Amino acid sequence: MGGWEYYLIVLLVYLGTDLLAAWGLNLEFGVTGVANLAYIVTIAAGAYTYAICTLGPPAATGNFQQYVGGFYLPFPVAVLAGVLAGAVVGILIGLTGLKRLRQDYQAIAMLVVSLMAATVVMADTPFLNGNAGLGLIPAPFSDQDPEIQRWLYVGIVAVACVVGYLLLRRFTTGPIGRTLRAVRDDEYAAAAIGKDIVVLRLVVQAAGGALGGASGALLAAFIGGWSPGAWAYVETLALLTAVIVGGMGSDRGVSIGTFVIAILVLQGVQFLPQISFRIGLREDLGWIVLGTVTILFIWFRPQGILPERRPKYGGSS
Amino acid sequence: MQLLIEAIGFGIASGAVIALGAVGFSVQFGMSNVLNITYGSLMTLGAYIGLVLTDRGVNVWISLAIAGVVVGAVSVGFHRWLLAPLVRRGTRAFAIVIVTVSAGVVLQYVIVAFAGPDAKSYGEQSGQTFYLLGVVLTASQVAIIVLAAVLMLGLHLLLTRTTLGRAMRATASNRVLAQSCGIATDRISDIAWMLSGMLCGAAGVALAITTVSFDFTLGPIFLIPMIAAAVLGGIGQPYGAMLGGLVVGIASELAAAYTNPAYREVVAFGILVVMLLVRPNGLFGAAWATRRLMA
Amino acid sequence: MSNAARPILEVVDLVKHYGGVRAVDGVSFSVDRGTITGLIGPNGAGKSTALNVIGGFLPPDGGQVLLDGDDVTGQPMHRLARRGLVRTFQMARVFGGLTAIENLLVAAPEQKGESARGIFEGKRFWRKQESDAVERAREMLQAFGMEDKADEYARNLSGGQKRAVETMRALMTEPKLLLLDEPMAGLSPSLSRQLEDMFLKLTSDGLTLLLVEHSLDTVDRICSKVVVMAQGKILAEGRMTELRSRKEVQDAYVIG
Repeated sequence: MGGWEYYLIVLLVYLGTDLLAAWGLNLEFGVTGVANLAYIVTIAAGAYTYAICTLGPPAATGNFQQYVGGFYLPFPVAVLAGVLAGAVVGILIGLTGLKRLRQDYQAIAMLVVSLMAATVVMADTPFLNGNAGLGLIPAPFSDQDPEIQRWLYVGIVAVACVVGYLLLRRFTTGPIGRTLRAVRDDEYAAAAIGKDIVVLRLVVQAAGGALGGASGALLAAFIGGWSPGAWAYVETLALLTAVIVGGMGSDRGVSIGTFVIAILVLQGVQFLPQISFRIGLREDLGWIVLGTVTILFIWFRPQGILPERRPKYGGSS
Repeated sequence: MQLLIEAIGFGIASGAVIALGAVGFSVQFGMSNVLNITYGSLMTLGAYIGLVLTDRGVNVWISLAIAGVVVGAVSVGFHRWLLAPLVRRGTRAFAIVIVTVSAGVVLQYVIVAFAGPDAKSYGEQSGQTFYLLGVVLTASQVAIIVLAAVLMLGLHLLLTRTTLGRAMRATASNRVLAQSCGIATDRISDIAWMLSGMLCGAAGVALAITTVSFDFTLGPIFLIPMIAAAVLGGIGQPYGAMLGGLVVGIASELAAAYTNPAYREVVAFGILVVMLLVRPNGLFGAAWATRRLMA
Repeated sequence: MSNAARPILEVVDLVKHYGGVRAVDGVSFSVDRGTITGLIGPNGAGKSTALNVIGGFLPPDGGQVLLDGDDVTGQPMHRLARRGLVRTFQMARVFGGLTAIENLLVAAPEQKGESARGIFEGKRFWRKQESDAVERAREMLQAFGMEDKADEYARNLSGGQKRAVETMRALMTEPKLLLLDEPMAGLSPSLSRQLEDMFLKLTSDGLTLLLVEHSLDTVDRICSKVVVMAQGKILAEGRMTELRSRKEVQDAYVIG
C-alpha cells in the first residue's frame, strides 16, 4: 500500500470519528446550550471501554499493561459497550451541571472535571495503565490482508457516521429540536411553558455522550492504542472550534467546520516546510492557528460558516 | 506531628504564590466580570521573561519586576483591544471564556515555538535555608512569602487609602453609578488590568523560582489552584483570594503529605468543583463586587 | 365546596425573604375562576416577588399556594405549567434563536414529538398534531396583528412585539391560570386597548388572569377584583372604584 493511500485512509477515519464527536458536542452545546467542556471524557470513556472489552486479561500478556477488565469481546459488542459508556459518562457529567451556574463558570467547572478525570486516570495506574495508556488494542478483520482490512475499516466508520447522523437528526429536527433550542435560548422561559429542563439536558448529554463514545471506540480500534495524551483538554478546544467555525446548532455547518479544522488545519500544518529541527513544531503551529481561528470567528462571524437555517412552516401543512 | 508542621509550612510557601496569582485573577473578574483563562499562559510568559533575564545575569528580583511590568502591559492591551470590545458588543459570557482559553493556548504554543518544550530552571538558588517553627524553608521561599505579603499589603493600602483605590472599588461594584459620579471608568479599568497583570507576571516568576524546573505548562497547571482560591474567598474579592490562597496551599500540601503526592493537584480541582457546585459565591460571599455566579 | 365554585388560586400566608428583607410578609388572597384580578401597589411592595413565588420561579419561605384545591407550594415552574399555571416575565423573555411562530409552537402542550416514541418514530408520529399547532399559532399571530412577522427571528423583533410574543406563547399552553407581570408596559395605548379586549374575551372563555400592573387605568377597566400590597403585606382587597377612595390606599401610593 502506497504512503498516499495509507494517508488517505487515516484522513478518512479521523474525519469520520471527528464528525461523530462534533455532532455530539453540537447537539449538547450548539443546539441545547450545555457548556460541556468535559465532552472529551465521553470520547475517552468510549475508547477505554472498547480497549478493555477487546483486550484479554492483563495476565495474558504477562501483565506488561495493567488495567481492569479484559474480556476478549468481539468488535461490534465492544463498540456498543463504548457507546454505552459514553452515554453513561455523559449523564454523570450532566449531573454535575445541575446547579444553575452562569454559563462561563459552568464551562470552567466542566474543564476542571475533565482535568480531574485525566489526573485520576494518570495517577491510578492499575485502573487504565496510567500515563502510558493502553496499547495493542485489537482491530476487526485482522485476519484479512492489511490493505483490505484498512479499507473495510473505512467502510465501518462510514456506516457508523451514517447511522450516527440519522440518529442525530432525530434530536435536532422537529418538535424536540425546537424545544432544545428554546432551552438553549432561555431555560427559565422554557420551564415556564412546561419543559422539564433537567430531563431534557440529561437526555441530550446521554445522546451526545453516546456519539462521543462511538467516536472514541472507533478511533481506539483504528489506532490500536489510547493514552491520556489523546484526551488532553486542548482536544475539546479543537472540537469546539470545529463547532463554532462550522456554525453552532447546524448539523451541516458543523460537518463543514469539522472538515476545515480537523483536516485542513490540523493536518494541513503537517505539510509546512521544515523550519527548524524541532520535532513537534508543526503541531504547535496547528494549535496556534486553531486558537487564532477561534478568536477570529468569535470576533467576525460568531454564527459560523453555515449558520442554522431558518425553518419555514408553509401554510397549514 | 512533624509531617503536619512541614506540610503547613510548605503550604504557606506555595499558598503565598497561589494567593498572589489568585488576587490578580480576582481583581480582573471583579473589575470586568470576565473569567480570564489567559491568565495562566500570561503567568507562563512572566516565568519565561524572567528566565531570559536571569540567564543573562540580571538579578532574579529585578527580573521579577520587569516580567511583571511586561505582563501587565500585555494584559491591559489584551483587555482593552480584545475582551472589552467583545463584551461591549454583547458577546455571551461563554464565548468570552472560549476566547480567553484560545488566547491562552495560542500564547502557550507561541512560547513553546520560541523556547522549546524542554524543562527550564532558574538555576542554583542560594543554599541558605531558614529554620522557622520547625520547618526548613529556602531563602527563595521565604523571600516569596515576604514579597507576597508586601504586595498584598500594598494592594490593600492602595484600595483603601488612595483616591485611585476608591475609584477602583466604585467601578468594580457599580460601573454605571461610578460613571455618573464622574469616574473615568475605562481608564480605571485599564489601571486595574495593569496592576493585576503585574501580579500575574510576578506570580509566574515566583512559581518558576519555587519549582525545581518548569515548562510551558507551568501557568495553566497553577491556574486551577488560583481559581479555586479566588472562588473559595468569593470571586471578585481580593481579600478572600488571599485567604483562599493559603487555604488551598495548605490543603494541597496536607493531601500530598498524607496520601499520594500526585493528588496535590486533585485537591485544588476538588475544592474548585465542590465550591462551584455547593457555594459558588465563596465562603464569605462577594463583598467587594456584587457579581453573581448563579445563572 | 365543589371544585367549580372553588377559587382557582388560593394563596395562604405566603412568606418570602429576599435580600434580608421580608419582601412578602404573610400574604393571603384568592382568585376566582374566569376573572381578572389585579395585584397593585407602590414600588417595592413585593408584588413581583409574590408573583414569582406563586409562579414557581422562587421557592417560598412559608405559606401555601393552592391551585384548584391542590397544594402546589414550592413546585418547580415546569410542573406548575403542566397543571395549567403559566407565568410571563417582566422583561420579555422570548427565544431569540427561534422565529416568532416557533416561539408559539414550542409552547403547545403535550407534544408527541418530544416523547421518546416521537423522537424515534419521527414525522409520521407527530405530523398531524404539529400541523394543528401551526394553524392555531397562525390564528393567534393574526389576532395580534403579527402574521407578517411569523418567520422573523424573535431576537429581531421590537420590544412591544416581543411582549406580544411572550403573551401569545403563554396562551398557546392552554393555561387555566395566567400570571402576567406588567403586560401593558411599553405598549402603545391602542395596543394596550386591544390586549385588554383580548383578555376580557379570554376570561369569558374560562381563562383566569392574575396581573401585576402599574397602569391603574388598565386595572380599572378590566379587573373585577384588585388586591393592594404595600411593604410585603396586603393592604386592601376589592373593586378598584371603592379602593380608590380609601385613605390607606392613597397613603400607600404617596409614601411607598
